[in-house]
Amino acid sequence: MSQMNGASSLVASLEAAGVDVMFGIPGGAILPAYDPIFSSSIRHILVRHEQGAGHAATGYAQVTGRVGVCIATSGPGATNLVTPLADAAMDSVPVVAITGQVPSVAIGTDAFQEADIRGITMPFAKHNYLITDPADIPRAIAEAFHIASTGRPGPVLVDIAKDALQKMTEFKYPASVSLKGYQPKLAPDAQSITDAADLIAQSSKPVFYVGGGVIKANASRELMELAQLLGAPVVTTLMARGAFPDSHPLNLGMPGMHGTVAAVTALQKSDLLITLGARFDDRVTGKLSSFAVHAKVIHADVDPAEIGKNRFADVAVLGDLKHTIAALIPAVKVALGKNRPDLTAWLRQMNSLKATYPLGYDVPKDGSLAPQYVIERLGKISGPQTIFAAGVGQHQMWASQFVSYENPRTWLNSGGLGTMGYAVPAAMGAKVGAPDTTVWAIDGDGCFQMTNQELTTCALNNIPIKVAIINNESLGMVRQWQTLFYEGRYSNTSLESKRIPNFPMLAEAMGCVGLSCDRPEDVDATIEKAMSINDQPVVVDFRVTRDAMVWPMVAAGASNDDILIARETAPDWDSQEL
Amino acid sequence: MAQHTLEVIVENSPGVLARVAGLFSRRAYNIERLSVGPTDNPETSKMDIVVNLEGHALEQVIAQLDKLINVIAIKEIVPNSAVPIVHDTQPDYQN
Ligand SMILES: Cc1ncc(C[n+]2csc(CCOP(=O)(O)OP(=O)(O)O)c2C)c(N)n1
Ligand SMILES: [Mg+2]
Repeated sequence: MSQMNGASSLVASLEAAGVDVMFGIPGGAILPAYDPIFSSSIRHILVRHEQGAGHAATGYAQVTGRVGVCIATSGPGATNLVTPLADAAMDSVPVVAITGQVPSVAIGTDAFQEADIRGITMPFAKHNYLITDPADIPRAIAEAFHIASTGRPGPVLVDIAKDALQKMTEFKYPASVSLKGYQPKLAPDAQSITDAADLIAQSSKPVFYVGGGVIKANASRELMELAQLLGAPVVTTLMARGAFPDSHPLNLGMPGMHGTVAAVTALQKSDLLITLGARFDDRVTGKLSSFAVHAKVIHADVDPAEIGKNRFADVAVLGDLKHTIAALIPAVKVALGKNRPDLTAWLRQMNSLKATYPLGYDVPKDGSLAPQYVIERLGKISGPQTIFAAGVGQHQMWASQFVSYENPRTWLNSGGLGTMGYAVPAAMGAKVGAPDTTVWAIDGDGCFQMTNQELTTCALNNIPIKVAIINNESLGMVRQWQTLFYEGRYSNTSLESKRIPNFPMLAEAMGCVGLSCDRPEDVDATIEKAMSINDQPVVVDFRVTRDAMVWPMVAAGASNDDILIARETAPDWDSQEL
Repeated sequence: MAQHTLEVIVENSPGVLARVAGLFSRRAYNIERLSVGPTDNPETSKMDIVVNLEGHALEQVIAQLDKLINVIAIKEIVPNSAVPIVHDTQPDYQN
């Protein structure tokens, strides 16, 4: 035990929690903490906007599996963290945010830079704290890391009054954390595993509906074993891309609004959804009442409130997915030993759909660049170890569709909140977490203009990320909806010009290399040029056609049965035996 | 619809009432009646929450309430019965 001020106790607590890096910006209320940070072993990366700090913490966490940390001052510093924390909540990312608060006597007086950030974040943070007594700092930090990283991961905010940082206290980091109201379950009940295995052994049309929880639980290896044991098709949601290799013959791709025909249909026609760490999100189910109507449901998740939330579960398996899948493997072996349904017809049907309706796109007849082609080449040239972080929009869907993901934690995106501006700072955090891995942000021209200031941070801190701007001079995804649902009335979705801003010049101004490409024949050489630069961030402005659309598509609120593969074009169901 | 009374034991920490009330508001559940009082243990309080919910919706409320870190235990008081239903959706921590 040693005497120190609250600020030193905070930094010592962060060190004790194993923090090696944090992203933030100082200011009045948090200033006392920045003094011990100056001499701490923790690397602090000075970002240009707190939103960047939050998404960087998320990117770091997604890639490393560790808790990402961001830090900001009171008032506007804290409110700038709201978007990335809400984002981390929706995508179950372990993040701890530290904010300074006005001195405890001033709380509630509308003091300068006072914002009730605990109240503001209460609806979505996994938990949060307001600390006014320095003695509470070590326990709050230990609990915050425990809560953020266990169970269903999520963001935890610790707001600390300035005087609590300044007053003297005794530093004693708790050896362990125990919370009466929080005991996430690791191992599933044996009965639930047996019940699940029995259902699996009765199903002739099973499908693994795999969500991001499998990646969070580091359960990809277990999933591979179980999938191969059963030989059933696998679909990986937007949050689960990479949880199971795209190249595997059992992988049907992504389900949902922009999913493959095979993946969407597999869920629709299945008699058993083996749901692993997924949450029946509306972007996956489409119109819920017409979703997978013939299927029984096994729902395995660590969060009890997800089970049965949107869809009734015939068998609920509550527990950590690594434990759950590991327990399912021997149980399914036993069950299949007694009764092994023949999945041949089912697999033949699904493989036929996969072969008949692969993802594809039209090559523009005027020689302009197809965005899908750029993304496809990025994936091929950069290879399966590369980490990709996408923004939100058409480019995000294409980045999910046209890159082949072979490994978990190589695909980062804002799936739940759909936060434009996620890509650049998330890629920055990812690169800090995996400095030896190539990190590409695949960003939209709209998204890029929300958070590109973090390229300055990257340039100055030796974080050489690569950014591919898919520049279609529009808010393309919104424009697509206007094309389809608003008679082509393009209200406020044109970004007007491929030249303003001049992205390569903007990149150069921030200390990055700026490249551009607008002809298909130059794509490979441009990507290779970008790949050859590793001592500086690189930004490539890919000037693509603005008219490309994301297909397939299930319109919002429509049934998955009404999937279209192109405008007004449904799959030819009559020619499929289903 | 029948009324159900939930007896919720919470940590006696600042902001707990806001967390519980906020959860009901955010998830669009109605509270019919709410009272908060002390327990024998000064570190905890007891909230009696009356809701007009059944079946699945009631289970969701309980599951979401149970996710609040400051919520320690939830009992459903059954009318005309001395035995409450104990909702134990977060069983013991197993390592
Ligand atoms: C912060 C935020 N504001 C608005 C939206 C709504 N929105 C979804 S996609 C999109 C367009 C994105 O444009 P761009 O980054 O150029 O991507 P594109 O669709 O053109 O590939 C918009 C405005 C959003 N998702 N996030
Ligand atoms: Mg665009």
